[in-house]
Amino acid sequence: MVKQMEDRHSVWIRFCHWTNMIAITLLILTGYYIHAPHAFRLFSNMDTPRTLHFAMAYVLCFGVVLRVYYAIAAKDAKNIVFSLKEDTPKFPSMIKYYLFMADSHPYYGKYNPGQKMMYTGWLFMALIQIITGFILYKPDMFMALGGFLGGYLAVRLIHYIVTWLFVLSVLAHVYLDISEGIPVLKSMFTGKIPADFDHGTHEEEVKADGGVSA
Amino acid sequence: MPTKLSRRDFIRLCAGSAAAISMTGFLGPYLSEAVAAGAPPVIWIQGASCTGCSISLLNTVHPDIKKVLTEVISLRYHPNIMAAAGDLALQEMYKVAEENAGNFFLVVEGAVPTGANGAYCTVGEENGHHITFEKLVTDIGKKSAAILSFGTCSAFGGIPATPPNPTECKPVSKVVKDVPVINVPGCPPHPDWMVGTIAHVLLYGIPELDTFGRPTMFFDKIIHDNCQRRQYFDNGIFAKNFGEMGCMLELGCKGPIAHCDATTRLFNGGVNWCVKCGSVCIGCTEPQFPGWPMYERMAEMPVGPATSVTVDQVGGVLGAAAVLGIGGHLAGNVATGRIGPKKNEEEKEGDN
Ligand code: HEM
Ligand code: SF4
Ligand code: SF4
Repeated sequence: MVKQMEDRHSVWIRFCHWTNMIAITLLILTGYYIHAPHAFRLFSNMDTPRTLHFAMAYVLCFGVVLRVYYAIAAKDAKNIVFSLKEDTPKFPSMIKYYLFMADSHPYYGKYNPGQKMMYTGWLFMALIQIITGFILYKPDMFMALGGFLGGYLAVRLIHYIVTWLFVLSVLAHVYLDISEGIPVLKSMFTGKIPADFDHGTHEEEVKADGGVSA
Repeated sequence: MPTKLSRRDFIRLCAGSAAAISMTGFLGPYLSEAVAAGAPPVIWIQGASCTGCSISLLNTVHPDIKKVLTEVISLRYHPNIMAAAGDLALQEMYKVAEENAGNFFLVVEGAVPTGANGAYCTVGEENGHHITFEKLVTDIGKKSAAILSFGTCSAFGGIPATPPNPTECKPVSKVVKDVPVINVPGCPPHPDWMVGTIAHVLLYGIPELDTFGRPTMFFDKIIHDNCQRRQYFDNGIFAKNFGEMGCMLELGCKGPIAHCDATTRLFNGGVNWCVKCGSVCIGCTEPQFPGWPMYERMAEMPVGPATSVTVDQVGGVLGAAAVLGIGGHLAGNVATGRIGPKKNEEEKEGDN
């Protein structure tokens, strides 16, 4: 059976998605070893995870810059940036749908408000990790900034708290995306999604321009 | 008699492997000469402190401290070691400050209690009124060429300023403005850091300082980068108990975030330093010291007034909640037929 397919993710989106995914996953795994080498016995020394951590730190910087640039240049930002004014009113219908109080949900655009919030949050979380990470990496270069943020131990604490936030949000992300349907997961590899895939009920769309997807 | 020591040589001496030679012994003759030629006098006062910094200074060996005090530094006032006391001593200090206004150095040991108008620390009387330490520091400090804040208490607040801080202790730099302040932290500072800083201001003026006002000649190194146990860290060998071999990180070592040169300078006349003797580095030269758990790697996360929990506890609870939520949602998804076998039949109908 040949299905009618339509474009969902450009090659740049897919490239950024997977480099960032690899970088963040490795940063989390190496980070936990650096944090608790006794409890989290993934490596057998400190050299390997630290080297990997710092290498992936640069990959993450690169991935964040590229993704932000793409979002601006390809006008993709409206798809993923959470807008307080436009997206907040869409929350109730989405929550009703997720809590099985409604059988369908309106068409939100490429992503629903919850997803947009998470993706926008990730940008800030990545920036926090990059800033606090580089303070820890080069304590003498960023001494003033480290002091401003409450000292190195506070910086370490922030770096670790945000690591947990990444773990929890990635968990939710992976589940929600897979549960939305295997075609959605596939689309991040192939870039395409069946044209008849149910993205929500178009009639209930509030604003005409609100979220016409790319 | 020594010829003049260039500033470059001086810095090299301070920053170099000083354990091999006693800095005070080496600098002594140069300083004596400077003092004989009329170098600025030094006044040393104490506020909210434990006198540990003075004790550390007294540990100066080669030459012994007596020689340092009588010949090497023109020390005009020190509450612990001078013979005079009471009004007489205080008047003498004011006199020295007056006569040498703008041309003497003030050493402050201890934080400045500012609560209740400074009433928590009084140092003498004037016309029947208490002289608070806050007033003394401000009065004398304003006249000095520069203030040397010796010890973490006077440099950053240290122990007296750690929350809840009922006496509202503050570092000297927050109390006296418009006068250059050099911070020589440490709990206590190594005698070489104190003598070396005094020597530098007497011979060459104010040394190069880092963001937190610490002379870079002593505080530009990170403990963790020079620690003798670093190999253990790199190899992932961590001590679980005191007395074991291994890196002390898991026992709370603050080496990765602490600046000082104790690893090569060594305390007690070149004998030992914090980690080498089996302790952790407590990061005593850092502005936030000691507002952190000494023997824990990471501070807890504040979640309310006087309540904190570990990040792992919060993360674990939220993680469990997330797993439960996912399980519940998955069950709901299957039950309502959003995913699973029912989906294919009813997908198109939209009102299952
Ligand atoms: C998603 C992004 C990241 C995650 C999840 C992450 C996670 C972690 C974790 C869990 C730790 C251990 C914290 C501790 O116990 O002290 C750590 C340490 C560290 N991270 Fe990251 N990190 C991330 C990004 C970065 C970046 C961008 C840098 C930039 C260079 C960085 C630099 C560091 C440094 C220097 C340390 C201390 C390691 C050491 O000195 O041994 N991290 N990270
Ligand atoms: S003992 Fe402390 S300073 Fe030494 S390597 Fe371990 S963490 Fe670093
Ligand atoms: S090694 Fe650490 S605890 Fe010891 S003097 Fe230096 S900063 Fe203080």
